[in-house]
Amino acid sequence: MASDPLPSPSLRRLVRAAGHTLRSRLYLATLAVMAAFALLADLLGSPYFTLSLILASLYIALAVAWDFSSGLTGYINFGLPFFFGLGAFSTGYLVYHGLHSIPALLALDFGVGLVGGGLFALPTLRLRGPFFTFLSLLLPLIGTDIVLAFWTTFGLPTIGYYGLPFLAPTLEDSLLLLSGANALFLTGFYLLRESRFGLVLRGIRDDEEVLESQGISSFPYKVAAFTLSNGVVGFAGGAYALTTTFAGVDAFGFLFLLFPILIAILGGTGEILGAALAGYAVILLSQYLYLTMGSLTLLLFAGAAILLVLFLPRGLLGLLRKEAA
Amino acid sequence: MSALLEVEGVSKSFGGNHVLSDVSFSLADGTLALVGPNGAGKTTLLNIVAGQLSPDRGAVRFRGARIDRLPPARIVHRGLVKTYQVVRPLRSFTVAQHIELFSRVRGSVDAERILALTGLGPVRDRRAGELSFGDLKRLELAKALAVNPELLLLDEPIGGLSRDEARRILGSLEELKRDGMRMIVVEHRLLETLSFVDQVVALDQGRTIFSGSPARFFADPAVRAAYLGGGHAPRG
Ligand SMILES: Nc1ncnc2c1ncn2[C@@H]1O[C@H](COP(=O)(O)OP(=O)(O)OP(=O)(O)O)[C@@H](O)[C@H]1O
Ligand SMILES: [Mg+2]
Repeated sequence: MASDPLPSPSLRRLVRAAGHTLRSRLYLATLAVMAAFALLADLLGSPYFTLSLILASLYIALAVAWDFSSGLTGYINFGLPFFFGLGAFSTGYLVYHGLHSIPALLALDFGVGLVGGGLFALPTLRLRGPFFTFLSLLLPLIGTDIVLAFWTTFGLPTIGYYGLPFLAPTLEDSLLLLSGANALFLTGFYLLRESRFGLVLRGIRDDEEVLESQGISSFPYKVAAFTLSNGVVGFAGGAYALTTTFAGVDAFGFLFLLFPILIAILGGTGEILGAALAGYAVILLSQYLYLTMGSLTLLLFAGAAILLVLFLPRGLLGLLRKEAA
Repeated sequence: MSALLEVEGVSKSFGGNHVLSDVSFSLADGTLALVGPNGAGKTTLLNIVAGQLSPDRGAVRFRGARIDRLPPARIVHRGLVKTYQVVRPLRSFTVAQHIELFSRVRGSVDAERILALTGLGPVRDRRAGELSFGDLKRLELAKALAVNPELLLLDEPIGGLSRDEARRILGSLEELKRDGMRMIVVEHRLLETLSFVDQVVALDQGRTIFSGSPARFFADPAVRAAYLGGGHAPRG
């Protein structure tokens, strides 16, 4: 006991449990898929393909974050585009005020997402699920209005920040950076999901009152989950602005709600890893269809979302688990 | 020595319906059976003690301290936990995960011991949604034990079970009692539970009509009239 490298037995147990979780085959396979796509983009050198994968990576970050908080707890958050837009606009604001370091910008976007997410979570997560959802739905609308008001008040000529720096010198490097960030987010959320923290979040979805009557106050867990998740959303919003080199009201758009939720449900709600895999499938498909069908693509995916919820509510991983059982 | 739990003059009404009127009793040690016909107010009383309802009047003390204004989770931290009359598992959780989730609420418990005591070992990795009714009743008990309580409130732990299934749970409760667990058991099937009951409190239409030993309970004329004689023979 005395010669043990780790100081406390509980820390040792935690590290051992984390090691065990990260040896899961599905987790390793997911990371391998992410690496394979980044490599493939490098080999092919097709800008459209690489850009599609960058977009997929941004949506995967959103989907995984949404799945961690809303998928696990059952508190449906429609406010995603608000925190995404917040990240994008913070980036524009900070660049216009002289900050040009990409790591610093991304870190601050994460921070803005955290703070914004926390401020929203604190009063609203005391409400029952449907009321929380209703208020979250208002956020993107309010966000758009605030931004428009901001511009008219200060008399700025254009709505949005232009000429932002690129995330990385080449598209392939951008993809590599985002894939690395996603691997980090995925690992973090997956570890948390498999820990007691994740068990509490799942318990909230099953029966929050039972948790309370058995000594677990769910509120701090919910706030922590939504705060953390919106940090990642803020990060993604910033990365989006640094990819398009523009931050405008489109960042509050409906697409940044539809696709992440579609991806999370397709991957299997609350599965985390499933969202990463489903993200590539959905976004690459939508990018391909967009070439042939144009704006009809969105209609197609809205229809697919309805069918998915009706006929495959547990998603692909849920289906696999049922087969295996 | 002061009592572990004291219920003092508790009253509760829903709208104009007086469900509990000035109910008092205390428990120092052992097992208390709370009996009474359907609608007597037994579940309401347990909900008040566990903090899920607040009384209109009266007080509840645990280890001498008022708990009747505390939220349910805080009361559990003090060492008091209640099971549900209608089983209420976490549907997507396995039996083992139920114990794991709640086992850190009040410090360490031995999960294996709980599984052995409740007889849930063979189904430890099944999800609650796949369990039989008997297993769900045992899970209700296991879930409560996972918080390492000092006082267990059990709302009809054998309600709806066959005689054999009931005997398994009663065996677990007897073992718990030998280990020194204090319990309040709501049960219609009084004769089956009597073997380990030390004290009986009988409610009728929200009033205490009896409080005393089981032996005196059956001899009491008020009890005979209201509970045994009045068409409310023990169910089951
Ligand atoms: N939340 C509530 N709102 C209104 N009335 C209630 C509520 N809860 C219980 N009651 C009423 O209070 C009375 C007592 O109910 P309670 O569930 O406490 O009885 P009980 O003794 O547990 O009965 P049982 O043996 O059927 O479980 C009943 O008349 C019931 O209809
Ligand atoms: Mg009852």
